[in-house]
Amino acid sequence: MRKRPLATVLSWLYALILAAPLYYLAVSALKTNIEIFTRPFALPAAWLWENFRTAWETARLGQALLNSVLISLVAIVLTLALAVPAAYALARTDNRAARVVTGAFSAGFLIPPFAALIPTVVLAIKMGLFGTREFQMLFLPASALPLSVLLLTQFMRTVPAALVESAALDGAGHWRLLTRVFVPIAMPGVVSVTILQLLTFWNEYLFALTITGTAPDVRTVQVALPTLVSDATNLGVLAAGTVLTVLPVYIAYSLMNRRMQEALTAGAVKE
Amino acid sequence: MTRSPRVLWLTVPSLVWFAVFSVGPLVAMFVIATLRWKGLLYEPTYIGLDNVTKVFADPTFHAAVRNSLIQVAVAIPVMIPLAFMLGYHLNTKPRGYRILSVLYFSPGLISISMTGMIFYGVLSPNGGVNGLLRGLGLDSLANAWLADPATALPSLIAIDLWRGIGWTAVLFAARLASVPGEVIEAAQIDGAGRFRTMWQVAYPMVKDYVRTLTMLQFLWTLFTSAALILLLTKGGPGTSSTTLSYLVYAKAFSMRDLGYSQVVGVVLLVLGIAGMALIRVLLRGDNR
Repeated sequence: MRKRPLATVLSWLYALILAAPLYYLAVSALKTNIEIFTRPFALPAAWLWENFRTAWETARLGQALLNSVLISLVAIVLTLALAVPAAYALARTDNRAARVVTGAFSAGFLIPPFAALIPTVVLAIKMGLFGTREFQMLFLPASALPLSVLLLTQFMRTVPAALVESAALDGAGHWRLLTRVFVPIAMPGVVSVTILQLLTFWNEYLFALTITGTAPDVRTVQVALPTLVSDATNLGVLAAGTVLTVLPVYIAYSLMNRRMQEALTAGAVKE
Repeated sequence: MTRSPRVLWLTVPSLVWFAVFSVGPLVAMFVIATLRWKGLLYEPTYIGLDNVTKVFADPTFHAAVRNSLIQVAVAIPVMIPLAFMLGYHLNTKPRGYRILSVLYFSPGLISISMTGMIFYGVLSPNGGVNGLLRGLGLDSLANAWLADPATALPSLIAIDLWRGIGWTAVLFAARLASVPGEVIEAAQIDGAGRFRTMWQVAYPMVKDYVRTLTMLQFLWTLFTSAALILLLTKGGPGTSSTTLSYLVYAKAFSMRDLGYSQVVGVVLLVLGIAGMALIRVLLRGDNR
């Protein structure tokens, strides 16, 4: 292929623009405010690990991480428990009713959950679950259902009809067909949905802020971090806190970057 | 054969869940829009279309419409073509493309609240951008980016682009990987230039996908700007960075007028649908 200097230059220029704030964040995490102001891009003169401890204690990140893990795990289990049987049913049926259900989920996929933020807060109050982690555990699966059901259905459609017939002849009911045939074959889809939705749940911010709230014993890590901002923000501590909260996601990414990239692109490639 | 329609009952739990937590609130929005409701702890009263009149006469609402239109009209036409070209480049596997794709991908991992905190530091008066400008001897350009009415909204749009371009490029690259390589090579052997191959051969083959992603990015930009604005500018200074999305949030939680907030929510929904229709027309699949 021919050389293409312009594309190369532009692609690396954009990469630099992406990397610069991340680099700035990482070095700021180990500096005092004064050093951040005077030598913004230099490596720290003295590495101030103290910032991490201050951030951890001030924002009570330990409890916040625990809350985030708890909410994400319960929500993903619930999501799969609801979406897998639905996808199985849709993959095995091809009539008008099935197309109506698929259509409903396709339309739901397009509507950003934010559209109904305020009525959702009202719902949480009516259910007596305002200011609790439980509401997020129940609500997040609903926002994840359209995409999860549609993706899983696509994967379950790949199960060969002959396999289903022979299993059915052996007397396998829906439960055995689902657990022994469909889920194993659609496993890549289940993994993709799990990764994609876990990341979405982990990163959710506005609903966690307005419904679960900022009380230290229930707030998620996304809500806890911005509490480090004040009239006299210690930028070093804020950067350290940001690094601590981004880190779990990056560690997960470095452990399974191919799978994760597949999962996240699958989420948007769906048609 | 167990191919009975009965199995469709298994979709009922998920439909009920979706109806209660997603469809219900969406419908309730239209009801709340007709109420006088001063904060969540008070009793609402029905006032019909009075909220609509109030909203449409409010200069803040006009500013929010203008800002939202500017935001999508700048962000989307810049983001999508650049992302497509970068995705195309990424798909040719240039030297170092692994590093590039990891970097492009990373905004997809970082939440909105983390992004807000990163740029809180980068854009603060003594932050990274001004530090860079001073280092280059351009002190006169240094600015309080988020506190200056002239640069608050442009800064937020720049953050949209910072996160959106790379992430969308990775998605385009994933899609372009499914275009048969021979087609591209054949075009190049025919002497088509690189730019022409990209736009006249590769682009038409993935046009439907470009349209889908354009719609998704449009909806995300239009609807979800509230979070970043809440974290960085609170809609200010004045109303210079108030978008419709932020107005929905602010009217409900800081200004305690739920009816007003939900009228804006309905406007947002209407704009979202109109914008999708427009994108569909502009990027029509003409099967060339």
